[in-house]
Amino acid sequence: MPNAIELKNFSYKYPDGTVALSEISLSVEHGQKLALIGPNGAGKSTLLLAMAGFIKGTGEVLVDGLQIKKKNLKTVRTLLGCCLENPDDQLFMPTLFDDVAFGPLNMGLEPEQVKTRVADALRTVGLAEMADKPPHHLSAGQKRAAAIATILSMTPKIITLDEPDGNLDPRNRNNLIKLLAGLPQTLIIATCNMDFAAAIADRATLLDKGRIIADGDAKKIMSDYRLMTEHGLEVPSKKSKSRL
Amino acid sequence: MHHAHIDKFSYQDSPIHRLDSRVKFIVVLIFTAVVISLPRTSLSILACYAVGPFAILVLGKIPLKFAFKHILLVSPFVLVLALSCPLYDKTPVTVAFGPFSWQSSLGWMRCFVILGKFVVTMMALIALVSTTRFSDLLTGLQRLGLPKLLIIQLGFLYRYIFVLIDRAHHILRARAARSMRNLGLKAELKIAAAMVGSLFVRSIDTAEHINIAMQARGFDGSWHTLSKLRIRRRDLLFLLTAASFMLGLYLLVKPVLQ
Repeated sequence: MPNAIELKNFSYKYPDGTVALSEISLSVEHGQKLALIGPNGAGKSTLLLAMAGFIKGTGEVLVDGLQIKKKNLKTVRTLLGCCLENPDDQLFMPTLFDDVAFGPLNMGLEPEQVKTRVADALRTVGLAEMADKPPHHLSAGQKRAAAIATILSMTPKIITLDEPDGNLDPRNRNNLIKLLAGLPQTLIIATCNMDFAAAIADRATLLDKGRIIADGDAKKIMSDYRLMTEHGLEVPSKKSKSRL
Repeated sequence: MHHAHIDKFSYQDSPIHRLDSRVKFIVVLIFTAVVISLPRTSLSILACYAVGPFAILVLGKIPLKFAFKHILLVSPFVLVLALSCPLYDKTPVTVAFGPFSWQSSLGWMRCFVILGKFVVTMMALIALVSTTRFSDLLTGLQRLGLPKLLIIQLGFLYRYIFVLIDRAHHILRARAARSMRNLGLKAELKIAAAMVGSLFVRSIDTAEHINIAMQARGFDGSWHTLSKLRIRRRDLLFLLTAASFMLGLYLLVKPVLQ
């Protein structure tokens, strides 16, 4: 069985020549919950965009064994759901229902199937009653959950999330942790919040200045005080670590 | 941040809310055309036409205060136009109201008719957007044959206008927090230009992110939606009532117009 994600010596430079990612090699197995940790500007978001085929660099990127090429981009995006940092960018339709239905409709599903998928996705994130609401009527926590529902309705095998805990209060963050921890999909979560990462991930990859610094067991990496502080991070609190 | 949305009552439930968006749109469109085409000396006739949107607002449980507040908000544009009429048309006319009569000018008559038409058509428009969800209105317009591209753009406009307003508020607040004294018109204009520029750059940034979000969900240029609209008996009844109202008033005022 191919890996969920396979990057082989992937490098990427921004148009101004700044190196964003350098010689990244990473394999993520199906079902893993990987936390992509690192300070601001480490290249986490860029790496997630590379996995979804939004940026082209040198090296190879394979999603479920499928090499990212123009001709199989549609298949790749059915396999991999990509949730952006700002939910307002993710929710662009006039109502939540339309937003969650957007992906399944583009996949060419029948109207009845689309309705079932939308209902299932909204139920999973706890927004079943909000289907007819416009996204600007939702709270920050609801917007985040709605953004995840837009991905879940496409039933991808892999989900990438960019700073999903941003702007969330503790209650909404805990709800999100419960939701993400319960998902059967392979999760790749980019975050600077170690407590959040520790509560969900079983594997952590530390990225800094576009390079992989450490990769392995989340508990081991995130409890290494020296490694974490050296790269502008912190060790998770005891409560979060106990969840690991 | 919460905004006073013009469509904040569109999620209520009333017989008017339950009507098909296409029927409501067509009725408001014809009604507006009829009111606009009324002659310039027809204030009393205008008052009769106002009964239509007034009834819709009442049946739709839309507070009249809300409707008039929004009419006031957009009135400055029309006020300028209306108040300029008495300045260039001073033809004397005698105005009669029951046993009373007084001298006025045609310019003033025209001014009041412009304001009257504005209030009546705005009432109809507010009645439409307050009793119809914007998404239903868009679906209705699409089913009526409006180009998909225009529908998509209207959808984005509705979705992001509030995000943009939020951002503008944040920028203004950040400016106010550091504004200790008046820097003079030239410097203030320069700062305002920088603020608009910042808003523009962030809008482009947002547009790029939305493009990524759309592509990530399989968007390939063709727009698919699930239409939920259906014409029912109550829609036909509403259409018939509106047509009778407009036609009845026309027949009633026809002799007056001649």
